[in-house]
Amino acid sequence: MAENAIRKIKWFWPWQDEQEEAWLRSMSQKGWHLSSIGLPCIYRFRAGEPQDYVYRLDYQTLKKEDQQDYLQLFSDAGWEHLCQMSGWHYFRTEAIEGEVAEIFTDVESKVTKYKRLLIFMAFFVVIEAICVAIFTHNVWGDYPYSWWGIIRVISLLVPLVMGCLIYAIIKLMLRIRQLRRL
Amino acid sequence: MLRDDTKKYLPLTESTYYIMLTLVEPLHGYAVMQKVEEISKGTVKVGPGTLYGAFTSLEKEGLIIKVKEENRRKSYVLTPKGKKVLMNQIKRLEIMTQKGLSVTDLL
Repeated sequence: MAENAIRKIKWFWPWQDEQEEAWLRSMSQKGWHLSSIGLPCIYRFRAGEPQDYVYRLDYQTLKKEDQQDYLQLFSDAGWEHLCQMSGWHYFRTEAIEGEVAEIFTDVESKVTKYKRLLIFMAFFVVIEAICVAIFTHNVWGDYPYSWWGIIRVISLLVPLVMGCLIYAIIKLMLRIRQLRRL
Repeated sequence: MLRDDTKKYLPLTESTYYIMLTLVEPLHGYAVMQKVEEISKGTVKVGPGTLYGAFTSLEKEGLIIKVKEENRRKSYVLTPKGKKVLMNQIKRLEIMTQKGLSVTDLL
C-alpha cells in the first residue's frame, strides 16, 4: 500500500453511526480522508490537506434504478457519495465555518432510518432461527462423514450470530427511544 | 366510506407539511428543498435523507405521484388524496393558530 494511503480496522455497531461519523471527521481534520470501506470494519484513507469534512451515514437498500435518483438528490444538496457498504451509504460535505449540515433534519426521519435497519435485521433473525432449528435436529446425530465436524463448528456459530443480532436489535430500539425523547 | 381515510396521516410533521405544500406544482427533490427553506422563511430546512424518506412514504401512501424523470431527477406532485390530507392539515393548523393568536396578549 502506498504511503499516501492507510488502512484502519475499527468496529462500530449499527447504533454507533454518530460515533463513526465523528471519528471519520476527526480523521479528515488530521488529513486522512475516507476513500473506501472493504468489510464492515476496514476503512481506507487517502492522505491530503487537513479539511473539516463532515460525514453522514444513511441506510438504504435500493434497486438500481432508484439509486440514481437517490444519489442525485444528495449530490444536488451538496453531498459527495463516497462509498456503499452492505446498505450503508457514506456521504461527505465540507463544514462551512464550523457549521455542520445534516442529511436528516428531523427526528422521525432519523428513526425511520433505524427502522429500515431493524427490518433487515429481523429478517436475518428469522433465517438464523431456521438454521438453528435445522442444525439442532440434524447435526448432532450420527453421521459418517469426516467433514461433519466443520458443520458442527458452524452450527455453534449460528447461536452466536443470533445473539449479536438480538443484542443489536435491542440496542437500536433503545436508540430510537432515546431519539424520540429528545 | 372514504370520510376518514385522511385522518391516519394527521398531524403531519413540520417537514412533511412543507414538502407537501411545495408539491401543489410538480417539482424535483432539490427544488423542494430550496422552496421549503424559502416559504418557511428559513425556519425549516429539509436534508436529502429526510426528503428522500418523505418522498418514498408519501408515494407509497398515494399522497404524491411521480410525474416525470429527467436527468436522474424524479418530479412529484400531489394526488387528489394528498390534496385532501393537506387541506385537513391546514384546517387543523388554522384552529391552532387562531387560538394561539387570541391569547398572545396574555403572554
